[in-house]
Amino acid sequence: MDKFITIGERLSTTAPTVNKAFLERDAEPILKRAKAQLDAGAVYLDVNIGPAEGYGEDLMKWAVTLLQENFDNVPLALDTSNKAAIEAGISVYNRSKGKPIVNSADAAGRIEFVDLAAANDAIVIALCNGEGIAADNDERMAYCTQLLERGLGLGMAEEDMWFDPLFVVIKGMQDKQMDVLNFIGDLTDMGLKTTGGLSNNSNGMPKHIRPIMDSAMVAMAMMKGFTSAIVNPNDLRLMETIKSCDIIRNATLYADSYLEV
Amino acid sequence: MPFTKKLQKFNATVRSVEVGTGDKAVTLGGGNTLPFYSFDAPTTNTAKIGIEISDMGLAHEPDCIKEVYAGCETVADMAKKAITMEGVDFLCLRLEGGDPNGENRPVEELVAVAKEVAEAVDFPLVVEGCKNVEKDAELLSKVAEALQGKNVLLMSAKEENYKNIGAAAGLAYNQLVGAESAVDINLAKQLNVLLKQLGVDSGKVVMNVGSSAAGYGFDYLISTLDRVKAAALGQNDDSLLMPIITPVASETWSVKESVATEEDAPGWGCVVERAIDMEVETAVACLACGSDAVILKHPTSVATVSKLISALS
Amino acid sequence: MALTGIQIFKLTPKKNCKECGCPTCMAFSMKVAQGAMTIDQCPHMSEDAVATLSEASAPPMKTIKAGVKAFADNKNDSEKEFALGGETVLFRHEKTFVNKTRYAASVCTCMDDAAVEARLASVAAIDYDRIGDRMYVEFVAVDCAEGAAPEAYAALVKKADGAGRALILNVKDEACAKAALDVCKDKKPILNAADASNYEAMSKLASDAGVVLGVTGASVEELYDTVAALEKAGNKNLILDLGTASIKDTFANAVLVRRAALKDTDRTFGYPSIVNVGKLASGDSHMQAALAALFTMKYGSIVVMEEMSYAQALPLYGLRQNLFTDPQKAPRIEPGIYPINGADENSVCLTTVDFALTYFLVSGELERSGVPCNLLISDAGGLSVLTSWAAGKFSSGSIAKYIQEFEIESKIKNRTLIIPGKVAVLKGDLEAKLPGWNIVVGPTEAVMLVKFLKDMQANA
Repeated sequence: MDKFITIGERLSTTAPTVNKAFLERDAEPILKRAKAQLDAGAVYLDVNIGPAEGYGEDLMKWAVTLLQENFDNVPLALDTSNKAAIEAGISVYNRSKGKPIVNSADAAGRIEFVDLAAANDAIVIALCNGEGIAADNDERMAYCTQLLERGLGLGMAEEDMWFDPLFVVIKGMQDKQMDVLNFIGDLTDMGLKTTGGLSNNSNGMPKHIRPIMDSAMVAMAMMKGFTSAIVNPNDLRLMETIKSCDIIRNATLYADSYLEV
Repeated sequence: MPFTKKLQKFNATVRSVEVGTGDKAVTLGGGNTLPFYSFDAPTTNTAKIGIEISDMGLAHEPDCIKEVYAGCETVADMAKKAITMEGVDFLCLRLEGGDPNGENRPVEELVAVAKEVAEAVDFPLVVEGCKNVEKDAELLSKVAEALQGKNVLLMSAKEENYKNIGAAAGLAYNQLVGAESAVDINLAKQLNVLLKQLGVDSGKVVMNVGSSAAGYGFDYLISTLDRVKAAALGQNDDSLLMPIITPVASETWSVKESVATEEDAPGWGCVVERAIDMEVETAVACLACGSDAVILKHPTSVATVSKLISALS
Repeated sequence: MALTGIQIFKLTPKKNCKECGCPTCMAFSMKVAQGAMTIDQCPHMSEDAVATLSEASAPPMKTIKAGVKAFADNKNDSEKEFALGGETVLFRHEKTFVNKTRYAASVCTCMDDAAVEARLASVAAIDYDRIGDRMYVEFVAVDCAEGAAPEAYAALVKKADGAGRALILNVKDEACAKAALDVCKDKKPILNAADASNYEAMSKLASDAGVVLGVTGASVEELYDTVAALEKAGNKNLILDLGTASIKDTFANAVLVRRAALKDTDRTFGYPSIVNVGKLASGDSHMQAALAALFTMKYGSIVVMEEMSYAQALPLYGLRQNLFTDPQKAPRIEPGIYPINGADENSVCLTTVDFALTYFLVSGELERSGVPCNLLISDAGGLSVLTSWAAGKFSSGSIAKYIQEFEIESKIKNRTLIIPGKVAVLKGDLEAKLPGWNIVVGPTEAVMLVKFLKDMQANA
C-alpha cells in the first residue's frame, strides 16, 4: 500500500493575505505559508489562484517557479478554472518530484480538464458530480465512469485519475455521510485512487471541533482505502491521525518516533 | 505476445556511506534496486566484504585461521596480512577481549590495540566492540577519539548506549556510527530516528539489523532484511535508507557445523570446508536479501563471495 | 485472483454498442467484476480477452509434480511425489513459501564408472535429520554428453536410478531421451530436454511417457516463446531450466521469470525452475555452495550441483528449512531428551523451551562448554522462555508433567536440574513437585552457560 498523499490547501486566493501576495507577486508570504505546510508534512501543495482571468497565465508561471525553486521542485496541484493558466503553469513545471495535478475536472462543464491533463501527462482530480451534487452513489458512479472512460480513451493511466467523492457537510447532510464513505470503498474496489476536500464535512462547526471531526472522517475514509486528501497540514491532530492510519494500513513502517518523521 | 521485461524502478536510493580515507576508501550502499537486480537498473556500487581480526590475536582462533596468519606476532601484523587477501574491501577489528564476562581487558589496552592497527595499515577500518552495552559505551567512544581523522565505522550503537556512542563517534569525533538492532525492524528505524534527533548526520549511519548463521533462526533475519529493503526503497522511507552491514563470521564460526571435529562428527568431512561453506552460504543469503556489506573471516570465503559479487554486478 | 472492472474494461471493444443492455462498456465491465453479468453477454469480446478472463481465476504459478520420493520429508509428509512451484508470493513475510527448493547431484556419460559410482555413493551419504526434517539429496541429474550413444546413456540412467533418488534427464538428443525414458519413465523423471529447436519432438516424448518436460532458451524471451508454443500445443506439465549462460544471466532469469508469474500474473512463466549451479561453477565447490544459497533464496525450485558434500549441505539445508518455515509459526523442537557432549544417565540435566531458536542457542553453548549434560525439552508451545512462562506453558506443573510422561526418572539417574535464570521463580514450586531433585537456577542468558557449567563442574 502506498503512503497517504496530503495536498496542502493553504495557498488559496480565498485567504486575503495569499490573495494580496498573488496580486502583488509578493514572494515572502507565499513562501512562508508553503514552508509551514511542508514542514508539517504536506506532500503536494495546492496553488489556488482563483479564475484569474487575464493574468492567470503569468501568475501561475510565477507561483510554480517560485515554489519549485525554493522547495526542491515540490510537486504542485494547479487549482483554477482557467485552463490557459494551468497549461502555462505546466509549461514551467519540473516533474522530478512528481507529476503536476490538474485541480479539477467534473462530469459537466469541466470535463475538458480531463483532456487537459491527458494532453500534458498530468494527474487529474476528477469530481464525481455533474450539474450540482450527486443525489446518491449510483449517480456518483455514473459520473465516475463517464470521467474514467474519457480519461482512458485519451490514453491516461487510471492511476493518474484521482476521484473525488465530494465530502458533504455534516451539519445539514448527516444522513449522507456513510454514502460518501461507502463510495470511497467502491472506488477502492475498482482499483482507483481517491482524494477530496476533507474539511467540507466539518463546515460550520466550532473551530475547536473541526480538527476532531476531520480526523475521524479521514480515519474512516482511509479504512475505505482513501489514498489522498486536500487538507490543512498545519492541523496537527489531523496529520497525526493520518500518520497513525498509515501505520495501521502498513503503508509506513512503525517506529516509536513515527510522529516525528 | 512476446515477453517484455517489466523493470522494477524505485524512487529511492540507499545513501552512500564512505568508510576510510584517501584512495583506499570504500563506499557502502548507494543502490536503488533489490540486491543484485542489475537488470532493473545498472549496479552503481557493489556489496563490500570486510575481513575480521580480533584483539585477542590468534588465541581463540581455529587451526585453519592460525595457519592463515602464521608468522604474525601482533594484531597489527595480522591486520597487515589480512588486507592483502583477495577480495577484501575493509578491515574489521573486533575488540572482543573487552567483554566483562570474558577476558575483561581494560579500555586503555583495547584503544591501544585499535591505534596500533590503524597505524599499521592504510585501509578502511571498522571497529566492533565487545557486545557489552556499558563497556562498549566507553570503549567505542574512546576508540572514536583515538582514531580521529580515519573515518572509522564504530559498531555498534544500540538502544541502550546510542547516546554515548552516537555523540562520540557521530558528533564529537566525526566518525561513522553503526546502529544495531536485533531482527526488529521497528527498532531499526527508531534507532536511526533517534540518532538523527541526537544530531548525527544520517549520511554517516550504517545499520546492523541483526545476524545469525544459516539454519539458526535465519528466517527472522531474511524477513528483517527483506522488509527493511521493501520499506526503504518501496516506501521511500528516509529513516531506513542507510546501508546495511552484517557481521557473518562472528555467528557462523561458533555453530556446531563449523566447530565439530572430524572425530565428533564422523561422516561430515573436513571441518575447514564446513566452516568455509557455512560462512559463504550465510554471507550470500544475507547479501541476497539486502546486506550492503558482510564481515567474514576465512580468505577462501572472502575470495568466493567477492567473485560472486563481481559476477552478479 | 479476480479482475477489477477497469482491467475488464481494457479487454472490451470499447464501442459502447449497448447490445449487452448496458449503456457503456465501462458499466458492463463493472457488472462483470461484481458478478452481476458474465463476460459472454458481450457479443464483441475477442477470443484472447475471454481466455485472459477465464485464466484470471487460476493460480499464478502451477504446482508441478515429479519424481518418486525416496523418503518422506517429515512425519507429516504423505506426498509420494515432489511438489515444485505453486508459490504465490515473492517474499516469505508476505505469506508462507509452500514448496521448498530441492537439490540434485550430477552424473554424466563423460565420467568413468568409478567416478559415477563414487558420485552416487556421495549422494547416498547425505542423509540426516534436522529438527524433524529428513535432509538428503532428492534428485540425481543425469547428463548426456554430446555424441553419447543411446544405449550408453540409458545404461547410465539405469545405474543412477539404482541410487534410489528421483531423476533429471539432461539430454538434447531425441534417441537418447527416448532410450532413457524407456528404462525409467515409471519413476516420473524430469525430461529436461526441450529448447526452441526440438520442443515439438521432446514434448511428444514427455507427454507419451507422462513425465514433466524441462524447457530452456538462449534468452528469457526465447524461453517465453518456447513455453508459449508448448502450452499452445497442449503441454502444461513443464519446468523452466534457467540456463547456464552466466551467473548474472541465470540470476536475472530466475527473478524475471518468478516476478512475471507472481507480480504481473503472466502465467506463461508460472512454472517452477531448475538451476544448474554445477555448470555455472564447474569444479569450484565453494562457488557452487554460494550459488546454491543464492538460488535457494531467489527462486530456484531445483538446484543442481556437481556433487553435494556435507560441508555444502549442512548450511544449505538449514537455510532452506528457515526460508520455508511459516513466518506466522515459530519453528519448534520435538519434546524429548537431548544428550550433549556424550552425556549419559549420570550427567546433569538442564531444561528449556521447545522454541527452535532458544534450543539452538542453548544447545550451541552447551556444546561449547564441553560438559556432558542432558537437555530436557518439554512442550512449551514453541515460545521463548519468558513468553511461554507468562502464557503458563512453561511452569512447574508442565515441567513436572513432562518428567513423568517421558519417564525421566527411570532413564536418568542424575537428580540435578538446571532451569533458566529467567524463570528462577519456579524453583520452589518445582522442588515441591519433584521430590528428590536438586533444582538449580541457571544463568539468564545462554551465552553465560559455558562459564556456569565449567564453574559447576570445578566445584563438584
